[in-house]
Amino acid sequence: MDTLKEDLKKHIIEELNLEDLQVSDIDDDALLFSTEGIGLDSIDALELIVLMEKYYGIQVTNPDEGKVAFLSINTMADYIEKRKA
Amino acid sequence: MSFITVCCHINENSCFVNGETVLHKNEESPDSWFKQLYKELGIEYPKFYKMDMLSQGGFIGSEFIKRAKPDLISKYKDDEIALLFANSKSSADTDIRFKESFLEKKTPSPSLFVYTLPNIVLGEISIRNKWFGENMFAILPKFTPDFFVQYGTILLNTGSKAMLAGWLGISEGRVQVFMFLVETENTNGEKFDAENILKYSGL
Amino acid sequence: MIFIGAEEIISPLGQNMEENFLSVYENRSGISLIPHAGFNDESIHLSKIAGIPNYNKFEFLIIDILEKVLKQVDPSIVLSKKTIVIISSTKGDLDRNISNPFADSITAFVKYFELANEPIVVSNACISGVLAINAAGNFIKSGLYDHAIVLGCDVISDFVLYGFQSLFAVSAKPCAPFDVDRDGITLGEGCSAVVLSSSKEIFQKSSFQLLTGTSANDANHISGPSRTGEGLFRSVKKTLEQNHIDGNEIDFISAHGTATVFNDEMEAIAFERLEINEKPLNSLKGYFGHTLGAAGVIETAISLQMMRNNLLVKSLGYKESGTSKTLNIATENKSSELNTILKTASGFGGCNASLVIRKI
Repeated sequence: MDTLKEDLKKHIIEELNLEDLQVSDIDDDALLFSTEGIGLDSIDALELIVLMEKYYGIQVTNPDEGKVAFLSINTMADYIEKRKA
Repeated sequence: MSFITVCCHINENSCFVNGETVLHKNEESPDSWFKQLYKELGIEYPKFYKMDMLSQGGFIGSEFIKRAKPDLISKYKDDEIALLFANSKSSADTDIRFKESFLEKKTPSPSLFVYTLPNIVLGEISIRNKWFGENMFAILPKFTPDFFVQYGTILLNTGSKAMLAGWLGISEGRVQVFMFLVETENTNGEKFDAENILKYSGL
Repeated sequence: MIFIGAEEIISPLGQNMEENFLSVYENRSGISLIPHAGFNDESIHLSKIAGIPNYNKFEFLIIDILEKVLKQVDPSIVLSKKTIVIISSTKGDLDRNISNPFADSITAFVKYFELANEPIVVSNACISGVLAINAAGNFIKSGLYDHAIVLGCDVISDFVLYGFQSLFAVSAKPCAPFDVDRDGITLGEGCSAVVLSSSKEIFQKSSFQLLTGTSANDANHISGPSRTGEGLFRSVKKTLEQNHIDGNEIDFISAHGTATVFNDEMEAIAFERLEINEKPLNSLKGYFGHTLGAAGVIETAISLQMMRNNLLVKSLGYKESGTSKTLNIATENKSSELNTILKTASGFGGCNASLVIRKI
């Protein structure tokens, strides 16, 4: 699970061009879409959907599903585990 | 009467403001040339990394012009600075990358697609500065000083008091950025006409 | 005074203005379900022109429309040094040469008509058409040119369709602007033209007065509409102020109405803030789909036809209010004296533009 979270952070930084961030800057429970957290926006949310398919083979067909699943690294990791199970 | 009060040039390896060198590209650096310029600006604006090259180029030029003109933000109301940009190849570089994302990588990338319009750079500059002014992006076969004088004069006669204008030739590894500020209330510059634009542009 | 007229449209609804307006009058849509069009080979609703070759489609359309326009005006203006052609388009002929999407078509176009001046291409997302008409009017007002021909054209490509699919912005059904069940855009293709002049003598039919408007950025997000409608609000407010028009004088609003949830909501908020939300309004996207750079010109052309016929045309696809602020959307065709119309547009990059047209 921890490796999954680390990998997830690496992919997010790379795919979303968050060049000013390191893996260690992202807390597992930080809110990804809050300005207090990582400050991602609506295009980032769509790019996370692309990332889910590219690295984890998970298709998200309804962006609303993403809204709940992509709250934090923790919720994303849970979502991946559940979908893969 | 209007005057060109600041200009900024960026090519493949140098950046000049009012003709003075600001930075030469460090070939040893792991950073891209535009990232080196961003770091030279010393600002914190993480959105920069998400922009495509066209937006990055326009953004950097606008920031260097602001640095040379620190009162630019306070002097004008938020809708008095018009943006008039042009190039000849639209957003071709990013268009090619987006096409690759669906042809070769088999997933159309939303974050690339949103940059496949040349006027996005106007949005990026407006968002950064909270500017609500006039915008236009035109595609011209080549750099045309007359276009900037003719349409710029119209903008400055219909409510705008200043204009940030520029030619953003950024494609296929070539960088030909020439940006300039035109002001109506500042006489401390050169007359805003085609001859001076051509002279300053070096294009 | 700046005169505007000689409007023409080529779209799935017809090969000329008359056919297009008849279709709109009969509330027929150009949208149909196109098999295998989508990125995942799914069927997609599109408003696609049948019966013209795909090869160099953009060049074909801009030449064809100008030939049609020149039958409605003094054709000698096309050769004049005092005439400027402004082309509004987002992607030009992308499928012909992605590295230089305008050069080939426009070189051929200039040569075909032996134009005296190099055309200007306005490529400013979905406000391109309205912005181009305003620019043309301003060029005439400044005395630089006597006549201007504005051509709006965009064609459907896999590129643009897949892009909007990646944004989850493509509607599963024909688009339904301002409706409670709207769920995104339907892409369209088309080509349209209007002629502007300082002289009404060049027009064979009657012309109208163009009151040039302004553009405004909403400084909010490159692809998400402002939650307050600030840019659209400012653009319309300035357009009305600069032309000394009171909101009450507007008889009809030709809105942008793309049918995405957030765009239509943004427009409703802006119109409410401007206190013109009770004015009759329509979106023509239900007829033509979203034709991007052509949209502003197509919708201006239809607005001129509505004024010629004193007919308010139904906003196709709308059934039930789906915005937080109430709008007066045309649910049926209705005879109505239309003297002053407001045309608006909003697009990616946070841009907004507006203009006003008056009966003379």
